[in-house]
Amino acid sequence: MLNRKLSRRSVMAGLGGLVAAPMLGVSRARAAGSIVAAAFPGSWEDSYRTIVGPVVKSAGTELVLAPALAQDQLARLRASQSQSRPAYDAMMVSPGQTTDAIAHGLIEKIDPSKLKNWSKLLPAAQTEWGPNVTVEITGIAYNPKLVPKPKTYRELFDNPVYHGKVGWSGFGSNTATIAWVEIAKAFGGSEDNLSPAFKILAEHLNKGAVITSNNQQQMALYQQNEIAVFISTVGNVANLRGRGVECDFAHPTTGSPALPVALHLVKGSPNPDGVYQYMDAAISADVQRQLSMPPNEVLPTNTDVPLTDSLKSFISDADIKNLIYPNWAKINPNRAAWSAEFDRVVKK
Amino acid sequence: MTRGGVPFVAPMLALSIAGFLVPLVVLAAFSFSDPAGGFGLANYAKLFADPLALQVLFDTLALGFKVVASTTLIGLPIILLFWHAGPRERSLIVFLTLLPMLVSNVVRTFAWIVILGRQGPVSQTLAQLGFIPAPRSLLFNETAIVVVLSQIELPLLLLPVMAVLSRTDRSLVSAAETLGAGPWRILATVILPLAAPGILAGWVLVFASATTSYVTQSVIGGARHIYLPQYIYREVGVLFQWPSAAAIAFVLLATTGIIMAAMAMLSRHPRLASHG
Repeated sequence: MLNRKLSRRSVMAGLGGLVAAPMLGVSRARAAGSIVAAAFPGSWEDSYRTIVGPVVKSAGTELVLAPALAQDQLARLRASQSQSRPAYDAMMVSPGQTTDAIAHGLIEKIDPSKLKNWSKLLPAAQTEWGPNVTVEITGIAYNPKLVPKPKTYRELFDNPVYHGKVGWSGFGSNTATIAWVEIAKAFGGSEDNLSPAFKILAEHLNKGAVITSNNQQQMALYQQNEIAVFISTVGNVANLRGRGVECDFAHPTTGSPALPVALHLVKGSPNPDGVYQYMDAAISADVQRQLSMPPNEVLPTNTDVPLTDSLKSFISDADIKNLIYPNWAKINPNRAAWSAEFDRVVKK
Repeated sequence: MTRGGVPFVAPMLALSIAGFLVPLVVLAAFSFSDPAGGFGLANYAKLFADPLALQVLFDTLALGFKVVASTTLIGLPIILLFWHAGPRERSLIVFLTLLPMLVSNVVRTFAWIVILGRQGPVSQTLAQLGFIPAPRSLLFNETAIVVVLSQIELPLLLLPVMAVLSRTDRSLVSAAETLGAGPWRILATVILPLAAPGILAGWVLVFASATTSYVTQSVIGGARHIYLPQYIYREVGVLFQWPSAAAIAFVLLATTGIIMAAMAMLSRHPRLASHG
C-alpha cells in the first residue's frame, strides 16, 4: 500500500477532508445515552462524580463531568454558540451567569413535569430555567489560631491585625465579585459603584495584601499558612475542615451574600432527557442527603433533607434571615470594566 | 524529501495542518473581526494604545529573557560537569536532568509554594541565619517566578546542549591544551563554541516555554504580576472579548516568534554551525 504513489491532489483532498470533517459532524462521537455536564472544579466535581454519577447511570445515562468555573462555562458556550453542538449538555452556574446565559440564548426553560423530585424542592429553588441544587453562603474564612474572628468586610482593611494576612482575588468568581460589591458598600459605594473598593484596595497593596489569580489558589495558600483570611463559601470552609485544616467561617454583620447554584439545560443539547435525569438525580433526597454530609456539606434544597448538625453550626436561623441576594442585573454589565480596573490597580 | 517518503510524513503533516495551522488561521481571522461584524485592525490598535497591555507585553518578554539568563547561569556548571564526565556519569547526569520532567509542571509549581512560603525551608533558614528579621513569604514577586521557572525549564536548556556535546570529539580540548591554552581560554574558545548550537536551541525552548507558562506565572506571581497568558485568559474567561484575546495571542506569537527566529538564525551562523 505504501508503494502506491500519492499525487499532490490526493494528499490535498485527504487533508481537506480531515479539516472539513468537524464541520460535517464527524466529530459527534459522544456516546449515545451520555451527557456532558459542567461542574465547578474541586469538591463539586468530585462529589458529583461519586454521588450523582451512579444515580444518573442507574437511570440509563452516562454522566461525564467537565470541571469549569461558572464564567469559563459561559465563555466556552458562547464560543461554541455558532456550532450546532454545544460544548456542554448541562451547566452548573450561579445567578450571575444565569442572567447572561438567558440573555445570549444559551439555555432553555425546563419542563418541571419531567422531574419526579420537583415538588420536593423549596419554592425558591424552583425556577423556570432549572432547579437550584443548593444555596452557597459566602462570607469570610479565617484561621482562629492566627487572627480574631472578623465581624465585617471593612474590618479586614481597618484593623491592622489583618494586614498582610488576607488573600484577595479579582472578578473571575462570583464569590469574589459579590465580596467586592459588599466592600464597596461598606466604604460608601453601591452595586454599580465600586470606586471606593478600588481606592481602599490600592491603599492596602503596600500593607501586604496578597492578590491571587483565583479562589483555588487562596485555599492552597491558606493551607500553607501564607494567608489567614480569605473570602469564601461555607462549602470551602467545610472542605478545609474535612481535611483537618483549622478554619472557621464568619458571617459579616452586614449580611452574607447568597449564591444559589442552578443546573441548566443547554440549548441544542442532543440528549435533553439525559439532562432531566441528571437534574432529577441532583435534587433527589438521597443524593442531597449524601451531599449535605461532611466533607461536602452542601446546603440541601430538597425539603425532605434536614440540615445536619454540622451545617447548623455554620448557619443559624438569624444568619439565614440576614442573607443578601445580589442584584446581578446591576452587577453584570459592570463586571468587565471592574475586572479591567482591578488589574490596573493591582498590577505592579 | 524523496517522493517515497510522503506517506510517512503525511499523518504528521495532516495533524499539524488540522491541529495547528487551521486553528491559527481561524484565530488570525478572529483577531481582525469586531463585535459589530466589521473587519480591520481595531483590536490591534486598541491593544497598542493601552499602556497596561504594552506593559504586560514588555514584562512578558523581559521575563523570558530573565529566565533564559538564569537557566544559562545555573546550567553552565552542569554542562561543564557533563563535558568532563565519563560515560557512566554522563548517563547519570542525563537521568537526573530528565527526572523532574516526569513530574507535572503544575505539581512542581505547587511544591514551590511550600519551598518559598513563610514556613518553607528557604525563609526559615534565612531568618535563622539573621538575613531577615523573621520568616516571611518569598512568593508573589518576579524573582520567585524567575527562580521557579528556571528550575522547571532547566532541562529544556540542558538536553540540547548535552546532545551536541555527546557528539563532540573531546580530543579538541587536548589539542588546545597542547597548544598552551589555559582552562578559561579552553572554555571560551573551545567548549562554549562547540556547545553554542545546543545552547541557542535551548534558549529558544526556554524562552518559548517561560513566556507562555500560565500556571507558574499565575500561581507563583499572583494577580499582581500579569503576563500575556493571564491577560489572554482574562479577555476570554472574564471579559468574553474573543477577538481582542485573539489579537493579544497573535502579538505574543509574533513577538516570541521573532525573537526565537533570531536565536535560530544565530545558531545557523557559519561560525557557530561549523562547530556543531
